[in-house]
Amino acid sequence: MKITPIIGLEVHVELQTKSKMFCSCDASHFHATPNTHTCPVCLGLPGALPVPNRTACEYCIKLGLALGCTINNETFFERKNYFYPDLAKSYQITQLQKPFAINGKITIDGQEIRINRAHMEEDTGKSVHQTIDFEDSTLIDYNRSGVPLVEIVSEPDITSPEMAKNYLLKIQQIVRYVGVSDADIEKGSMRCEPTVNLKVEDNGEVFYTPMAEIKNVASLTGVQSAIQFEIDRQTKAFEETRETKSSTNKTTRGWDAVKNQTFLQREKEGSADYRYFPEPDIPPVIFTDEEIGKIRETLPELPEQKFARYQTDFGLNDYDANLLSQDLNFSKCFEQAISLNPTKDMAKLVANLFLGSLKTHLNETQEELDINKINPEFFKNIFDAVSKSEISATVAKQVIVDSYKDGTDPVEIAKSKGLIQVSDASEIEKIAKEVITQNAKAVEDYKKNPASIGFLIGQLMKASKGSANPTIAKEILEKLLK
Amino acid sequence: MELNKLTLIDAIKGIKEKKFSSTELVSDCLTKIEQLEPTLNAFVTINKDQALEQSKNINFDKPLAGIPIAIKDNFCIKGIRTTASSKLLDKYIAQYTSTVVQKLLDAGAIVIGKTNMDAWAHGSSTETSDYGPTKNPWNPKHLPGGSSGGSAASVASDEVVTSIGSETAGSIRQPSAWCGTVGLKPSYGRVSRYGVIAMGSSMDCPGPITKTVDDAALLLSIISGHDPKDATSVNQNPWQIPTPLKDLKGIKIGLPKAYFPEQMKPAVKTAVLNATKTLKKLGAEVIELDVLDPKYAIAVYTVLQRSEVSSNLARFTGIRYGEPRSAFGDEAIRRIMLGTYTLSSGYYDAYYLQAQKVRTLIIEDFDKQFQKVDAIIGPTSPTTALALGASEGQSMFGELEDMLVEPSTLAGLPGISIPCGFGDGLPVGLQIITPQLREDLAVQIAKLFESNTDYHLQHPKL
Repeated sequence: MKITPIIGLEVHVELQTKSKMFCSCDASHFHATPNTHTCPVCLGLPGALPVPNRTACEYCIKLGLALGCTINNETFFERKNYFYPDLAKSYQITQLQKPFAINGKITIDGQEIRINRAHMEEDTGKSVHQTIDFEDSTLIDYNRSGVPLVEIVSEPDITSPEMAKNYLLKIQQIVRYVGVSDADIEKGSMRCEPTVNLKVEDNGEVFYTPMAEIKNVASLTGVQSAIQFEIDRQTKAFEETRETKSSTNKTTRGWDAVKNQTFLQREKEGSADYRYFPEPDIPPVIFTDEEIGKIRETLPELPEQKFARYQTDFGLNDYDANLLSQDLNFSKCFEQAISLNPTKDMAKLVANLFLGSLKTHLNETQEELDINKINPEFFKNIFDAVSKSEISATVAKQVIVDSYKDGTDPVEIAKSKGLIQVSDASEIEKIAKEVITQNAKAVEDYKKNPASIGFLIGQLMKASKGSANPTIAKEILEKLLK
Repeated sequence: MELNKLTLIDAIKGIKEKKFSSTELVSDCLTKIEQLEPTLNAFVTINKDQALEQSKNINFDKPLAGIPIAIKDNFCIKGIRTTASSKLLDKYIAQYTSTVVQKLLDAGAIVIGKTNMDAWAHGSSTETSDYGPTKNPWNPKHLPGGSSGGSAASVASDEVVTSIGSETAGSIRQPSAWCGTVGLKPSYGRVSRYGVIAMGSSMDCPGPITKTVDDAALLLSIISGHDPKDATSVNQNPWQIPTPLKDLKGIKIGLPKAYFPEQMKPAVKTAVLNATKTLKKLGAEVIELDVLDPKYAIAVYTVLQRSEVSSNLARFTGIRYGEPRSAFGDEAIRRIMLGTYTLSSGYYDAYYLQAQKVRTLIIEDFDKQFQKVDAIIGPTSPTTALALGASEGQSMFGELEDMLVEPSTLAGLPGISIPCGFGDGLPVGLQIITPQLREDLAVQIAKLFESNTDYHLQHPKL
C-alpha cells in the first residue's frame, strides 16, 4: 500500500492598514483594551454600511502579484451568511466568485505549489473564554471585527508536513517582504488551516480518503504535528473502514496542541450552505491595468530575485546568498553596508561579517539588526583597511560587533586596541629578532623541522599583540633563520 | 391660526420673517398630534419635550431653521428610540444618527417624532406594524398605504408640516398616492442609506413625503449628495432645485398600456387619464408605450428583496437588541424563510441569479423607453386606499399594490407621486418616472401639474 498525502493550505493574513476593512476604526487590535476600536459599522449596528478600504485592496493586489497571481480588474464582494457570536452582522463580507488575485504559484526547493487565489475579506471578533463568578463565560471583543484579511488558498500540491511548513515560511517571507503584514503566527496575524486527505494505492487500485480541514493550529510546529497526526489517523482509518472521499463526508477537526491530536468538530462539511450572494452595499471594485501597473511598481525585489542577484552580482555562494536574502531587514542592512562600494570583494567581506560575528551577536542578544546602526562609511573603512592589510579579517570580525554596538568607526577601534596590522618589514624584523633570542629551543626545533615555524609565528603575533601581518612575519622569520 | 396646516415653504418663511416662532409651530403640531393620534396612530414615538426645548434655540441662518419634521421609524437618530415598528427593537435607542437626519439637523430642523410603518418596512399598508395600524386621514376605516404610512398620514392630516420616508418599492409613492401627499423617491444612490435600517439594500432609498412639490424639492436638495459612509451613494453634489417650467412644450411623455391592468379601480383610471389631458393642455406630447409587463418586476422584486432581507435581518438574531428573536412578526419570518430558500445552494441559480438577469432586462427596457420619451407617467397604485384588514392573509399584498412602481424601483429610477383626483372621497396618485438622476424633470412636470390643479389644496375632514 502506497500512501501519498494531499495537503492544501488556507492561509489568512491580517493586513496592517491604519483603518479597518469597511470602516475608519483603528485596525490594530493586539493587546488593545477590548471593544475600544469599534463603531456602528464593525459592530454591525442597524443601518450601518460598509465602505471598502482602498489601501487594503491595493495591499491584496500587491500580495497577489508577489505570489505570481493574475489580478482581476473588476472584482466584487459577497456575503457569506452564518451565525456565530463573534460575527456581528451574521454575515462575513468576503469574495467567492471573483477574488482580487487568482492562479499564482510559489516554488519551494524546486517544487512548484500552485496558488488558487488570494481574496479580500474581513476578520471576525474574538471570543474570550473566562470564568466569571464561578461560571464559564464567553466574552466578545470586537476590536478585531472588520480587520482586513487576505485569504491565500493553495492547490493541494503539498505532500508532506515538512513541505507544508516550508510553504508557510515562504508565504510569511513574501508577506513580510511585500510589507503588508508582520505575518506573526503566534500573534495570530497569520493563521493557517490545512486540509488533508490521502491518495492510497493498493494492488493497482487508487483510493482517496475523506478530507479533513484542521482548525485552531497556532504555531509552525503545530501545523506539522497536526498534519502528521491526520496522515497517521487517516491511514489507520482507511485500513479499518476503507471509507473513501465523497461530496458529503468532509469533516472539520480541531487541533489540540496539548494532547497533540486532532478531534472531530463538525461532520458533513459538504452540506454547509453559506448562501453567498453579491454584497448589495458595495459596488464592484475596479482597478485598471494602469492602476495595477502602479502597484506592481511598488513591489520590492522579492527574495528569489535577491538570492539570484547576490550570486551573479557579488559572486556569493548559494549558502551565503540564501542567508542574506531570507529576511528583508537583514538584506536591507547588508545592502546598506556595501552601498558605498558595491563590489564583489566588498560584498564577500561584509557577508562574512554579517553572517559571522554580527549574527552571533544578534543571536545572543535576541535582537533584530537595526538598519539605523549600519553606517556604510564604517564598512567602507574596514574594507579599505583589510584590503591594505592594515587589519586582518580576524580583527575585522572582532571589531565589527563593538562598532555596531557603540556606533564608532571599526578602524578606530582597531587602532585604539593596538590591532592595526603591521606590514612594515623593519618593524616586524625588530620583533622577530627578539622572538628568536627569547626562544632558543624553538629555533633549534625549526632547524631540524622547518614545519615547526608555526610556533615562532605564534610567538611573534603574540608579541605584536596580533598586529603583525602573519604572511610578512613568516617571510622575515624564515629569512633571519636561514 | 393652526400653523401645522402650513406647507414647509410657508412655515420656513413665517419663522424667518418672525410672523411666528418655531415653538409656536412645534406646539401647534404637537396639539394636532395629541388630538389625532388616538384616531390615526401615525407615530411610534413622539419627541415632545426635546422638540419643544430645541424650538427655543434657533439659528435663523439655516435653511430649515426651527422646522419640526416627522421621520420614519427606520432612521437611526442618536438617543432616540428606533424600532422600525418591530417589537424586536422596542427598547432600542440608536447609538448614532443616520446621514439623512444629520443633514436635516444640520439644516436646523427639529425631529418631532418617529412615524409608524410596516414592521421592518415589509408591506404596503402600515397594517403590519407591531404598534398597530395607521389609519388613512381621508377615511380612518381605510389604510394609509405603506410602508411609510405614518409619514404620509401625518402630513396629510396636518399633524406636521413635512416628513421623511423611505422606499424600497413603493413605500414613499404608494402611501403618498393613498393619502394625497407628494412623495418623491429619488434615484438609487442620490440619498445616503447610512443609518437607515436596511430592507432591500440594492433598492432602499430615503425621500421626502410632503404637502407640495416645492416642499419635496427643498427637502431633496438638503438630504441628497454623496456620502462617504455609503459606498452606493452616487458621487454627486447635493441635488439642486430646478427652475420651474412655463409649459411642457417639447416634452414627450409616455403612457404605458401595461400600467392600466384589468383589476384597476375605474376611478383611478379616470383620474390618471384626466391628468394626461391636463399635461397635454400644458403642451406635452403624450404617447402610448409598450413596456415590459409589470408582472415580471413583481417576481424579480419578490426574489431579490426577500434574499436581501434574509441576510439583512440576520444581525438581529446574532447580537440581540433587548428582545428575543421570537419578537419577529409573521411577515418578517415569512420573508426570511423565502429569502433563505432563494439564496440556498441549488436554488440560487434558479431564483436569485435569474432574477438579477431579468432585472437587467427591466433596466434595458427603461433605457429603450427613454430614447422615445422624456418621462413616463401612470397611476401610482392600481387602487385607492383599501379598507383596514385588506392586507391580512395576503402575503403578496404589497407586491400587487406596488406593481406599478416596482419596475422603476428595480431600475433605480427616480419617481414622484402627486395627487391627481379622488375616487369615493379617497385620493388618487399620479406617478412621473424619469431617467436616472433626472429628478429635476420629474419635479418640473409635477410642479407645473400641481400649479394647474387644486387636488393638493384639499384637506381631509377629521
